[in-house]
Amino acid sequence: MASKQKNMTPQQQNYQQLQQKHELKRPVLKNCIKAFWVGGLICVVGQAISYFYIYFFDFTEQSVGNPTVATMVFLSMLLTGFGIYDRLGQFAGAGSAVPVTGFGNAVISAAIEHRTEGFVLGVGGNMFKLAGSVILFGVFSAFVVALIKTLLGMWGVL
Amino acid sequence: MVYIIRLMLIACVLFMGSCSQDQKVKDSQLALMKTTNPNPTVTAKNKGKDNAINIEKEVSSFDEIYDVAVVKGKKATLVVYKVKHMKRFKMKKIEKDLNKTLEEHFPKENFTVSSDYKVFLEAVRLVERKNNGTLSDKKAEKRLNEIVKMTGDMK
Amino acid sequence: MLKGHQSWVFHNRPMIAATGVSGGPFEANGNLANDFDILHEDLWMGMDSYEKAQRVLLEEAIRTTLAKAKMEKEKIEFLFAGDLINQITPTSFAARTMQIPYFGLFGACSTSMEGLALASFVVNSQGARNVLTGASSHNAATEKQFRYPTEYGGQKPPTAQWTVTGAGIALVTENQAGQQLPVTTSATIGKVIDMGLSDPFNMGGAMAPAAADTIMAHFRDMEIDPSYYDLIITGDLGRIGHDTAFELLGKSGIKLERKQFQDCGLLIYKDDQPVQAGASGAGCSATVVYGHLLNQMKKGIYKRILVVATGALLSPLSFQQKESIPCIAHAVAIEMNEEGR
Repeated sequence: MASKQKNMTPQQQNYQQLQQKHELKRPVLKNCIKAFWVGGLICVVGQAISYFYIYFFDFTEQSVGNPTVATMVFLSMLLTGFGIYDRLGQFAGAGSAVPVTGFGNAVISAAIEHRTEGFVLGVGGNMFKLAGSVILFGVFSAFVVALIKTLLGMWGVL
Repeated sequence: MVYIIRLMLIACVLFMGSCSQDQKVKDSQLALMKTTNPNPTVTAKNKGKDNAINIEKEVSSFDEIYDVAVVKGKKATLVVYKVKHMKRFKMKKIEKDLNKTLEEHFPKENFTVSSDYKVFLEAVRLVERKNNGTLSDKKAEKRLNEIVKMTGDMK
Repeated sequence: MLKGHQSWVFHNRPMIAATGVSGGPFEANGNLANDFDILHEDLWMGMDSYEKAQRVLLEEAIRTTLAKAKMEKEKIEFLFAGDLINQITPTSFAARTMQIPYFGLFGACSTSMEGLALASFVVNSQGARNVLTGASSHNAATEKQFRYPTEYGGQKPPTAQWTVTGAGIALVTENQAGQQLPVTTSATIGKVIDMGLSDPFNMGGAMAPAAADTIMAHFRDMEIDPSYYDLIITGDLGRIGHDTAFELLGKSGIKLERKQFQDCGLLIYKDDQPVQAGASGAGCSATVVYGHLLNQMKKGIYKRILVVATGALLSPLSFQQKESIPCIAHAVAIEMNEEGR
C-alpha cells in the first residue's frame, strides 16, 4: 500500500483523503456478531445432522463427516436455488461464507448463473470459477503440510 | 432477513421440543447429550464382573473423563469414555495415558479403548438391551465384536 | 456549436419529443415506479437469459417512445445507444431488431448523456431530423459480468451500489415552435479522470471527481453560474460519491445549494430497499432522466436542469489486474421550450 501511495500524484492523494471522509465504513463489530451467530447456527444444524447419522446409521464420529458435509452442501444448494442464500450472505457475511455451505453456494451459484451458456461450456466450464481457487490452494497447502510432515518424520524430529 | 432468523429459531425450538416429549426416554436416546454412566457389563455370565467394575473405577479416576462405559467380552474388553469439553484438545494424550494405565493395572485384558461418540452410543445400547433381557449372552458377544471391529476401521 | 473548450451550444434547441422507459421488478417497488412506462414482474422478462432480457427492455423502451411520438420507425434516422455488457451486445441486438441505422456507444454509466449530447448535436446541425438515444442495464447481467453470480452469498460493503434493471430511450427531433416540451440547449463532454481509486465496490467515490470536473468545465465554458439551473443532477454517484462531489464543488468555489444538487442513484429506490450506497448502471440515469425528471419538467417543477451522467470505465479484467478506475462524466442541459421561440 505504501508503495502504491508513492506512485500517486499529490492531487490524487488529496482527493483520496477527502473521499475517505465520506466513505461508509463496514460496521465491523456488528458484522462479526452477526457472522458469529449465523455461522454458529449453521454449525448447530451440521452437528444435529451428524448426530442424526450417528444415531440412525452406522457412522462413527470420524466417518460421519462425509455424509454430513454432503447433506449440508445439499441444503445450501436448495437455499441457493430458492434465492435465500445470497440474502443470508449479505446479512451474515463470513458467517455463511466460511462453513462448507458457503463453498456449496459458490459452486452452485456459478452453475446456475452460467446455465444459459449450455451444459458443457456454461455449467461445466464455469462451475468452479469461484470455488476452483479454494480447491487448488486447499490441495496445494495440504500437499505442502504433508511434505513437511514426511520430511520431519524422515529426519526423526517427529 | 428477520423471516430467516425466525425460521431458524423455530427449527431450533422444534428440534429441542421433540427430544423432551416422551417422559420415559431410554438412556441410549440421550447418550450423546448427557452423562449416562452405564453399569459395567459382561457378556459371559458372572465372569469377570468384578474386573469390569474395577476397570470402570480406574477409568473414572481420570480427571478429564466424565462418562464411562465398560463392556467385557470373552476376549475383548471395550472401554468407551467421554472427555470433558475443554480437555478435548488433549484427546490423543488422554487416550495414550489411559491405555498405559489400563495395561499396567490389568495386564491380562485385551483392551479396545475409544472415545468415539458412535462407539459410546452402541455400547450404551448394548448394555441397555443386555440389562432388560432382550439380548442373549451370545448375541451380545457378537455385537461387542462388531463394535470392536468398528473402532478398528477408524484407524 | 463549440463554446469554450469542451462544450456545445445547441442554438436550434433540439427537442426531446417523446421518451420510453422500462424497468424490472426491483424498480417497480422503488420510489419512481409511476414514472416508468413498462414495468416487469419477472427479472427474466420471459426470456431464457438475462442478456436477452436486457435486449427486451431496450426494444420495449424504443417501441414505447415511437408509439408515444406516433412515429414510424422508418422515419428515425439514427439510434445512439449503449450498455455495459461485453461488446454492448444487448443494444446491438436490439438495433438489429429495430433496423434503425445505429451508433453503438460505450461510456459505461455515462452512456445516456453521451448519447443525448451526440444526438442533440446531430439534430442541431441538421445531420438528422429524428434520432433515438438511450441506454440500458440489467442488474443480473451486469452483476454476472462485473461481480459474482447473482445467487452468490458474498457480503457487499456499504459502499457498493445496485445496478438498475431498466432502459430509457428519448426521441430527439428538430424544434417545433409552440410545443411545451423539453429541449437540449448545451452539452459538455468530460475528460477521463483517474484519482487512483481501485475499489470496484466504491464506484461513487471514484466517479465523483469526474462529475465535479465536468460541472466546473460546463460553468467555465458556458460562462454561467449554478443559479442558472433549478437542478443539477448527477447520474449514479450514490451516497458517497454525491457527498464527495458536493464537497469538491464547494471547495472550488462553485456555489451550490444542497437541494439543487441531486443524484439519480439516490432518487430511484426507496430507503428500505437493500441497495447499499444507491443505484448505478447505464440504465440508472437513463430511466430517471427520461422518466421521472422530464415528467417533472413537463409539470413545471423544474425549468432548467443540468444532467451529469458519470461512468466508471473499468472492466472485470482491469480491476483484477490492479488497475485504478478511470472515470468520465458528460453533462447535458435540458430546458423547457419557451413560448415564442
